[in-house]
Amino acid sequence: MLPGIQSLGPCEWEVPLGYVPGMRVPGVFYLSPRLAGTLEEGAVRQLANVATMPGIVKRSLAMPDIHWGYGFPIGGVAAFAFESGVISPGGVGFDINCGVRLLSTPLEEKDITNRRELAERLYREIPTGVGGKSSLRLSGKDLDSVLVEGASWAVRQGFGRAEDTEFCEEGGCMEGADPAAVSEKARARGIPQSGTLGSGNHFLEVQVVREIYDEAAASAFGLVPGQVCIMIHCGSRGLGHQVCTDHLRVLEAATKRYGISLPDRQLACAPLDSPEGRAYFGAMAASANYAWANRQVIMHRTRKVMEELYRVPQKEMRLVYDVAHNVAKIEEHLVDGKRLRLCVHRKGATRAFGPGSPGIPASYSRVGQPVIIPGSMGTPSFVLHGTQTAMEKTFGSTCHGAGRVMSRTQAKRRITGREIRESLGKAGIVVRAPNDASLADEAPDVYKPSAEVVRVVHEVGLSRLVARLEPLAVIKG
Amino acid sequence: MSFEELEHTADARFRIRAASLGELYSEAARALMDVMYGRPGEDGQEREIEVDAHDPESLVFAFLSEVLFISEVEGFVVSRADVTVSDTKAKGILHGEPFSPERHGGGRGVKGISFSDLSLRREDDSYILDVIFDV
Repeated sequence: MLPGIQSLGPCEWEVPLGYVPGMRVPGVFYLSPRLAGTLEEGAVRQLANVATMPGIVKRSLAMPDIHWGYGFPIGGVAAFAFESGVISPGGVGFDINCGVRLLSTPLEEKDITNRRELAERLYREIPTGVGGKSSLRLSGKDLDSVLVEGASWAVRQGFGRAEDTEFCEEGGCMEGADPAAVSEKARARGIPQSGTLGSGNHFLEVQVVREIYDEAAASAFGLVPGQVCIMIHCGSRGLGHQVCTDHLRVLEAATKRYGISLPDRQLACAPLDSPEGRAYFGAMAASANYAWANRQVIMHRTRKVMEELYRVPQKEMRLVYDVAHNVAKIEEHLVDGKRLRLCVHRKGATRAFGPGSPGIPASYSRVGQPVIIPGSMGTPSFVLHGTQTAMEKTFGSTCHGAGRVMSRTQAKRRITGREIRESLGKAGIVVRAPNDASLADEAPDVYKPSAEVVRVVHEVGLSRLVARLEPLAVIKG
Repeated sequence: MSFEELEHTADARFRIRAASLGELYSEAARALMDVMYGRPGEDGQEREIEVDAHDPESLVFAFLSEVLFISEVEGFVVSRADVTVSDTKAKGILHGEPFSPERHGGGRGVKGISFSDLSLRREDDSYILDVIFDV
């Protein structure tokens, strides 16, 4: 382990007060010995820097997929007191409400005999990649409704079923969205991209449930071995990216004006209860709603393809859950025996509310919320459930995915897109992407092994394993 | 005049060298296109561009953010920029062509231009820009 870091127990490490000057609380991160070699000193410093921010409560946290990010580390979780704390775009990330949803089907693996045709149909129905244009023709007024209503807007337009929204965090609609805080530029980027998947690590995968670890939880979530599911991973596209860019500039200036001293200007922030803080929160919530509408539209199109190809009625394809892994939310948590209202930033971290928590569907209340962890391309994805341990240790949070370990330049030198397609093909996985070049920098081994990241949170108890899903067909942006 | 991609775990980091600021801006725009589309565009169409900022680094940040915006919203793949750069203003023409999925589908979306580690300096007879594109 890096110098200056203390062990708190298996896979649990403390960055003590004083690691950087001005820390108000200690830092804590979760990492196994096997992943210790991937830990960047810069990421630990970022975790410690976050601990200097006004109003931070209890500890600055990072999950096992920790890596170096903009201001806050990716995999970072930080909660700020509602009355005296701050909000920071660096604690949310460029892709506001990047998230994952899982759709279950009554099909079994053997029913998917035509993987290539299925991949081709999905690729044609769902605009993908750089330049992928939406077939939705949103007016400015429509966009306002999307920004305020989120997934419900999409359902109202006929994209999906009313019960879908119950199975999204926040019901697929975050309160406090302020379309007026979303700039004309953000709107111009967002209108043609709504309902599109995007590029980079975003994907749509047809998967099979390969292993169940917890039968009771799997049964509550409606998952059985051999079942075909579909996972959708995307976010708020250019709209959210532009909101982040716009508000970072505003908050950089505001940080100085409010006399907040920070060790790194990338932590730009403002009091939650300031005009700048409220504007960012309103724009962020609007972007989150855009992302929920986006995933809802994409899921609806997926259902239609499955209905046409396999004659599965749409109502038999159930949304298991939709999680947001780049967002700041107002939540209540019990801290040292006191119930506090907090603004919890999760940047590359997933909410993992335990059994009986408010805000999770009644049918899941006994087991805790589903936590959906996407694998990197061609590798397994996991479903876990939230726990009481997460409520006590991490403000109800866990990891979000694998975490990158290799640069694009290294990845491209080592392996070509074509080689990746061929090796996935040998494993029976069909890939459909705009072209092979876009596959090269998403090769499976440029990421930490997702199975090891998930094992850490399972062992520490921040969430517990329910099921492992493996890809059959991948649609990549 | 050149651009070179440097190591960066999460994002796309570039070093750009040129003899003049105008050429530096043009190469930086080409580097951005290289990430977004796998290659810069070809000449053919033109778009006007004009940005202001209070210092040289903010100006190149504003310029690249505007190139990203025009490219993404208008589906315009830039081949080069012909801009006049002063202390606080960059103004001129972007050359390029319309996006075609067959020719320009080999890249990945850029979320934004990062202000972190952005550096613009002069060494001997060249201008050097280090910039990270958040992908």
